[in-house]
Amino acid sequence: MTVIVCVDNRNGMMFNHRRQSRDRAVLDDISKTLGSARLWIAPCSAALFKEMPQAAPHDDFLRYAPETDFCFVEDRDPAACADRIDRLILYHWNRDYPADVFFDPAPFAAFREAERTEFPGTSHEKITKEVLVR
Amino acid sequence: MKKRFLAFGLAAVFLFLTGCNWLSDLQFGVQTPLAAPPVYTAEELPAYAGNPFVALYENQPRFEEEEKTDRSYEYYSPLDALGRCGYAFACVGQDLMPTEKRGSIGQVKPSGWQTTKYDHVDGKYLYNRCHLIGYQLSGENANERNLITGTRYLNVQGMLPFENMVADYVKETGNHVLYRVTPIFREEDLVAQGVIMEAWSVEDEGDGVCFCVFCYNVQPGVVIDYATGESRPETAENSTVATYVLNAGSRKFHAPDCESVTEISEKNRRTYQGTREALIAQGYSPCSRCNP
Repeated sequence: MTVIVCVDNRNGMMFNHRRQSRDRAVLDDISKTLGSARLWIAPCSAALFKEMPQAAPHDDFLRYAPETDFCFVEDRDPAACADRIDRLILYHWNRDYPADVFFDPAPFAAFREAERTEFPGTSHEKITKEVLVR
Repeated sequence: MKKRFLAFGLAAVFLFLTGCNWLSDLQFGVQTPLAAPPVYTAEELPAYAGNPFVALYENQPRFEEEEKTDRSYEYYSPLDALGRCGYAFACVGQDLMPTEKRGSIGQVKPSGWQTTKYDHVDGKYLYNRCHLIGYQLSGENANERNLITGTRYLNVQGMLPFENMVADYVKETGNHVLYRVTPIFREEDLVAQGVIMEAWSVEDEGDGVCFCVFCYNVQPGVVIDYATGESRPETAENSTVATYVLNAGSRKFHAPDCESVTEISEKNRRTYQGTREALIAQGYSPCSRCNP
């Protein structure tokens, strides 16, 4: 399973039940990465992906998603399902935002970097995409 | 020529009728506030406990219905008799944001301003001229009504992440965000204890941005005298971390085994872990019974 996460400089994901940030360039890149594959998301992420037909909301999507599919995670730490994850795509905002939900990179310390690219966002100067594989 | 005289005459009558205060207001980008802001006092704020900010009122801002507008707007309170800033309020939209790099602000000396350096502080200088409404949001440069004496820690660790969140949301969506920053001064202090930051995105009714936090005007490793802005390094004597019980009502602090602790109402009782000096700097005084 491939998990996609957006993080700030301190691995924050959300603050006060809201995502830290968003960028159309990231959504476009996710769509391109997915191709025709399914993207499993939490119900609270549905509005973000309303124009992406591949998006499928489910309460317990990290356990429910087939291992060949993608998951976008923003409201929970994917560490609990780390054993199901063989590829991790991190989009770094390269900004400091407030956070109260964090991504814990520790379970993925043994993953190796397969790809690292930078691109400008629509509202972010530089977004870094990092692909880590088991 | 006749038209020019007429315009001059009308301007003179307007000046006579309204007084000249609007000229200074115009200089500072002031518009009419839409509602009176809520009253915040230093007494209702939790003591600093190691995090640059703390959520207040369950992280819900206290904007009134009449303040909820999708028209970009900014207001900066006049300085008080001690030369201190009041609240600053903006409805941040893309049209309010700067299109050029920030200009110089060094000519402004906010209340309590001191030029003090510490080796352990990022950039060395203890104090920054902290924008209440950040430059990236409203493009305000040397507006004395928008600049307070704030520590580097307040500026970078406390306020900046919230400003970034609002700025990037507005840039991305084109929506508006109501944004109010209120500096909190204790009594006659010249340096604020910190700032309350509130924000709420208008078009999506807070779905995108919604917070109410207090950011502490502290600097780890430095003891600040908020009355004057003077400071000194934290020493072994004043940096011993201990557990205290606070009475948020009386602003007294107690040893955990002090008999007075049982008399504190649940509403006002808080456990605090930190230094005695930091508590005193935040307006708490030691209990005379247990003398912690």
